[in-house]
Formats: sequence, structure tokens, C-alpha cells
Amino acid sequence: MNTSLVTAFLLLGFSTNIYAEKNEVINIISDDMKHYNKVATITKQNEHYQPYIISVFYGKELEKLGISNLKQALELVPGVDMATDNTNIQTPIFRGSNPLAYGQSKLFIDDVLVNNIFFDAYPEYLSFPIEMIKRIEIVRGPGSKTDGVNAYAGSINVITYAEDFKGFDTKDKLIFKYGSYDYKMGGFFKTIKTEELKVFIDFFYQQDNKKLSSGPDGLSQGAFSNSTLGIDNSAFSRSGDAPLWLKEYSLGVNLEYKNFFAKMRLLNHTQGSAYGINLALPQDDDRVKLPNNYLELGYKKTTASYSLEIKGGIKEDAFDSKSKLLPDGVEFIDMLTFDTNGTVIPVTFSDGIYGEHYAKQRMLYQSSYLKYKAIQGHTFTLGYRYTKENTIEMRSKLSNWANGDAALVDYTDTYPFFDKNAKRDTIVYSLQDEFNYSPALSFVFGFNYEQTTYKDAGFEPRVSMVYQYDYNNIFKVMYSKSHRNPSWQEMFTKNNHSRIGSTDLNPERVEAYEFAYIRNFSADTYIQSNIFYLANKDQIYNSVTDANYRNVLDTNIYGLELEYKGHITSVDQVYVNYSYVTGRAHIKDEDRTESLANIAHHMAKAYYIYNLNSALSLSSLLKYIGSKDRVSTDTREKVDAYTTLDLSATYKNIQDDYKITLSLKNLFDENVKYPSPPNTYVEDYTQEGRNFLVTFVKEF
Amino acid sequence: MMKIVVTFFIFITFVHGYTYNEVLLKAQASIFPKILLLDKKLKNKLVDGKVVYTIVYEKTDYLTAKEVAKYINTEFANSLEGFTYKINLVEFSELSAHIKTSAFYVLNSEEHISNVAKIAKQMGVISFAYDVSNLKNGLLLSLMLEKSTVLYLNKNNLYTHNIDFVNVFLQMVRFIDES
Repeated sequence: MNTSLVTAFLLLGFSTNIYAEKNEVINIISDDMKHYNKVATITKQNEHYQPYIISVFYGKELEKLGISNLKQALELVPGVDMATDNTNIQTPIFRGSNPLAYGQSKLFIDDVLVNNIFFDAYPEYLSFPIEMIKRIEIVRGPGSKTDGVNAYAGSINVITYAEDFKGFDTKDKLIFKYGSYDYKMGGFFKTIKTEELKVFIDFFYQQDNKKLSSGPDGLSQGAFSNSTLGIDNSAFSRSGDAPLWLKEYSLGVNLEYKNFFAKMRLLNHTQGSAYGINLALPQDDDRVKLPNNYLELGYKKTTASYSLEIKGGIKEDAFDSKSKLLPDGVEFIDMLTFDTNGTVIPVTFSDGIYGEHYAKQRMLYQSSYLKYKAIQGHTFTLGYRYTKENTIEMRSKLSNWANGDAALVDYTDTYPFFDKNAKRDTIVYSLQDEFNYSPALSFVFGFNYEQTTYKDAGFEPRVSMVYQYDYNNIFKVMYSKSHRNPSWQEMFTKNNHSRIGSTDLNPERVEAYEFAYIRNFSADTYIQSNIFYLANKDQIYNSVTDANYRNVLDTNIYGLELEYKGHITSVDQVYVNYSYVTGRAHIKDEDRTESLANIAHHMAKAYYIYNLNSALSLSSLLKYIGSKDRVSTDTREKVDAYTTLDLSATYKNIQDDYKITLSLKNLFDENVKYPSPPNTYVEDYTQEGRNFLVTFVKEF
Repeated sequence: MMKIVVTFFIFITFVHGYTYNEVLLKAQASIFPKILLLDKKLKNKLVDGKVVYTIVYEKTDYLTAKEVAKYINTEFANSLEGFTYKINLVEFSELSAHIKTSAFYVLNSEEHISNVAKIAKQMGVISFAYDVSNLKNGLLLSLMLEKSTVLYLNKNNLYTHNIDFVNVFLQMVRFIDES
């Protein structure tokens, strides 16, 4: 009896011990699952389950395709095309949304908003080298951000190798590139880690001497002529090489110490004056500087039930142009006198007109967000973002209006190109509830409420549902409302023939309805499809015939996007996407309704990577961009469709950890053109023909 | 043009193969060996007193298999909660029913998955799949990075193995059917 009792106690003790051990293992596994869930969510590995339409591209994969920078990577995104203007401010166009405006999309570098204030665009970051980018997350549609930043047509989050997780260390990297147009690039990044401190530094320098044949310039179409005054400068129109060169360096530093973080970047970007501010071909050395620097400091704390992030920062950017605006011999009138008292005084600029335009902006911001995991599957996110923007420096110099002398005269106070007192305060309050009704079904309900110094966007809701039928089939339905505030250029430009700003502008508004279906064939093979309808109101528009920016464009856009990623054999990768967009645009003050202009209705992009062995891979990248209609008042033929093919070969030396990629781009020398507005460059803006790139990357 | 693009697109959706996701590989390398400890019959499957974890791969995936072994060694530093363990790398073409192992971790293959599942079933050992879609070919467990991290268990195989998981673990997994 006693023996049995002892045995029973021993067995009970043993099984309790085993049970405790097993429970401990269960707890460890649960913690691991939470950790990888966090990594997967932040790194968008589980993109298909997120409540928006997202595509994720990885830097290392893009490097194999010979993609050199952010712009080329964005050209691969479904539904995204690229546009430019006479100052070569290039911008991605999402789903055909207002291709003549900027600020339709927002760019974040490591979660820091970097759109410049002047244009609300980010051309200075489009040349960001792909080797510095770990991942690009592109959300199409407005339903992406909860932290006080309104994405109108899309948002792009560039994640550098500063991102760090336990078990995912980043190797340091050294990069050199050489290519057509005498392109040279050198850069590196390095991580320094101690137990509590992490420092990440990246630096690069790049330059080229790109010039592309252009013209005849805008003078041929009546730019800087005035029939009422009997002034005709069309004879001075020229064709020639537009200076599209680049000179750029960037230093980025990311610091993490316990719960504190700092993100800093100095970006000094200089580019050629392209097609000229006044639509006349400039001189080779004329330039536009677009510096864009930021510093953000923050604190974040996460526990099992809540996470808190408080951050604040300063960002400064500038538009700094120095160029010859018009050629020798042009005639005009003394605009200063004319705008002051209406007197017409003809002036001949025998040595041409020169100009220096400088506007430096500063943005201060602070935001606080609290995420709280409540009971019964609800996660609430609550917070605000306060932004204070203003112009802190402005200079405006031009050749002498009074006598036509080419020497610069300071018109900063008397005839500025920009409002030197430009400023705007914005506060956005956000509330969101993410409700997991069951493991298969989740909802997001939320809204932003925004007030600004000018016209308010007010209340903007967002609702979405994600239903996972099984691990193969996922459905999403989304409704969202968002807006784009007018850019500085649209509000504060003055004394200019082609752009006249107004602070009375309303925000552009969009209501988006989206439905997506994702079919996972395996862990890494999927098809993502979505249809969308976008109702845009009060889009901002101007033209050569009416330079005033005004809210006169309403567009209804609908379309579909298909995306496939997978394989044909076990040693290759295939990616294909196709997008279709169409709709109608109504220009209210001209009472004109027409099909969407300057957008490609059909686009298809595909790449194929074939790994010959662990060292050598070959790839091809194919892009088809359909033809583009003109606005109805433009008598030119459609912008032609084009198809480009890039081929690349990559050799990777595993032993010494380096790789070399050779790329031939636009192999068939296709004539790629971005559309120009009417009465500007009549033959549009020609882009690069056949070119090459060699890349060397060494990892440590 | 649209017809050509759509036709191409439809065609391409019917041909697919595989690559490997680093985060998923690391998550599986960290979690799968621990799941072995939840098998009450693990002690019956030790080989010379060691847990033997066999990674099965196609020749072209040798570097991936090596990476997985490296992740496991980094995570466990030679001891799996008190058990000594050993990692074997075996090509699909060299796998036989005579192999001595405590578990299989199976990378992708177009031809050989069912064979590994059959051998694992005969031996009564756990078979982990990199790709959840291979559970339909008879493997037992997989892990996916979905909205949250999800463990999938092939319920058709659960009771045909000489495997006895603790009940708490069975409450953590999502069951799927081979059919």
C-alpha cells in the first residue's frame, strides 16, 4: 500500500514535471510565433492579409534585374506610370490620377515622410540607389496610413538596411556603379551594434552627364509670346540637348538606444535645368538644386497590451534654380511696370534673360500614437500629428525688366516669384479599430479628422474587411476617403506666366472603392487581383492658356490590376502584372467632359530570373506602356505606346561575398516619351534610349 | 494588345514552381525543432540518444538546406532543450526507407514529396513542410506567415503516426484536410 502510494506520488511528480516542461516549450513556441508575426507584419511578409492593396519588392531581387534606383523600381509596380514636366520634376502616377499634379502619392524613407513642401513631390529621391534599399512597399489607393499622413492615390515606403530584427543581421555593403551617360556611383552602409546601442550609417555619391535630344522648345508654341501685345518670340525657339544631368550625395544615420530612436538624412540633389522654367532650352550647366534634409527623434514602448510611439522632427527642403531662362534677343515688356500700373513698355533682352529662384521651406512635426489591444479581438489606435510648415528663405533675381540688361537684379521684395511668408499649420486626429472577429475574418474601422490654416479636409472615414476562406483564398473589400492638400507651388507661386498660385484652393478629394482577391498557390506563388473605382473631386488643374491653379477637374476612374508571382521551374522566378484603367474627366469651368488624358489605359510589366547555378543568374525585364490620349483641345496625335526590354546577368561569388551585375537597358532602343502639356514641347519629353549599367557590390 | 497580355497572364498562372522566403525559413528553423519536444514519444525516436533532424532537398536547393542548418545551429547551439541533436542534409534522390532520423524537414520538390511523406509515415516520425501546400501530399506540419503566424497540421496523418502530441499543442494548430 505504502509502496503504491509512493509510486503514485513519484509518477504524479514525474508527470507534473513533464507537463511543466511541455508547457514551458509551448510558451517558448508561442513567443517565437509572436516574434515572427511581428517581423512578418513589419516586413510585409504577410502583405496579402493586410487591409489594403499592396505590392512589395525586395532590393536584392531588383538588383538582379539591373534596376538601378527607386524610379526604375516604381516603374515595375502595377498601375504606376511615370510623368515629368519642363523642370524634370518626375513623379509616379498611380492609377491615372491627375497626371499633371504632384503630391498624389507620398514617399516615406524608413517611415519618415520626405515629400518636399514646394512641389509635394519627391523627384530628389527617385534616384535613390536600389542597393541602399532593402524593401519597397507600395500601397495603391488611399487606404494605407493611420498615422496622420494622407495618401491620396498611393504611398511608397522605402525601407533601408537600417531595419533590424533579432536573428536578421544586415551585412555591411560597398557599392560601385558605372553606366551610360558617364554615370558613376559609389556608396556604402555599415551597422555598428552594442548591447543597447545600434548605429546605422549609409552614404552615397552619384553623378552623370545625361543630355537628351529635345525640342523644338516651348517658344515655338507661343511660350513667352503675346499676340495682344504683338510680341512673337517663336523665331527664337531651339532644338537641342536638354541638360538632364545629376549630381547627388546623401548621408543617412539611424540610431537606436533602448526605447529611443533618431533618423537623420542629408540629401543634396542637383540636376540640370532640363527643358527650362520658361519652356526655353537652358544652358548645359544651368541647374536646379533640390536639397531635402530631415531629423526625426522618437520614443517607442511596447508591452503585451499596448504600444506607444511619440516622435517629432524637422525637415528642410528647397527649390533652388539658377539658369538662363530665355535666349538672346527675345523681346517682351517690362512686367514689373505692367503689373504695377498697366503701362506697356517693350524691352529687348539682347543677351537673354537669366534668373535665380530660391525658396527654402521648413516643416516641424510632432505626433503621438497609442495602440491598445483590448478584449475580444479589438485593437484601437489613437493619436494625432501636428505639422507646421513655412517658407524660411526666398530670393528672386532676374535680368533687368526695365532695360533688358542681362545682369541679375534682386526682385525679392519688388517682384518675387513666390510668397516669402508662405505658411500652413495642420493637425490630424486619427482613430482606428482593428477588429478580429475570428481567425478568418477581420475588419478595420477608422477615420482621420484634419484641420489646416486654409481649407479643411475634415472627417475622412475608412472601412475594410479581410476574409481568409482558407490558406489559399483571401478576399478584401475596402472603402476609404482621403484628400491631397494643395502644394506650395499651387498656393504661393506668383508673378509667373505659367503657374499662378491661390490660397483659396480646396483640397483634392477622393473616395475609393476597392475589392481584391488573392489566390495563394503555394508559400511563394500567388495571383493578386483587384478592381477599383475612384471618384475624384476638385482636382487642381492649370494650363498654358490659363496659368491659374484652380479646383476644376472631377474624374471618375475605374480599373483592374492583376499580379502574378511564381515559377516555371525550380530555379527561376516569374513576375507579371497587368493593369487597366479608364474613366472620364470633367473640366468644370470649361464645361468639358472627356476621356482621361495623358494616362496609359493598358500597362503590363514582367520579369524573369533564371538561376543557372548558385553563382550565375540571367534576367529579363519587359515593360509595355500603352498609348495615351491628349486633352481634347490638343490636336497632336496620341502619345505612342512603347515596349522596353532590359537584360541582365549577375555573377555572385559566394566565397568572397561579392557580386557583379551587367545590364543592358532598353535593348531595342525604343522611343520612350513622357507626354508634355499642350503648347509646350510639342514633341513631348524624350527619355533614355539603349543604355548599360555595371554594378559591383561587396558585402562584409 | 490587351488580349495578348491577358492571354499571357492566364497562361502563366497555370505554371508555377518555388523559391524560399528568408523570414519563413528562419521562423520554421526556430519553431519546428521545438515542436519535436511536444511529442510524448520522442524518446522512442532518438538515434544513438540524439535527435536527428533530416533536411531533405533538391540538389539545386543545397545552399538553402545549408542555410536552414545554420539557422538551427544559431538558434539552439547544439542543445535542443537538453537533447543533443544532429542535422542531416539528404537529397531527395538519395532518401531511402532505411534512413535513421527523428524527423524530416522537407524543402520543395515537384516529384518527391509523397515519397518522403510515405517514409515518415512508415517510420512514425514527424514531417515538417516548408510549403503548406505540401501537406496535401501527406506531410504532417507546416507554418505560414499569415495575418498571424499559423501552424497547420494535416489531420489525415495525425492518428496514423506513432506520434502523440500534448493536447495544448493541438489547440494551437489549424487543421487542414488532405483533400
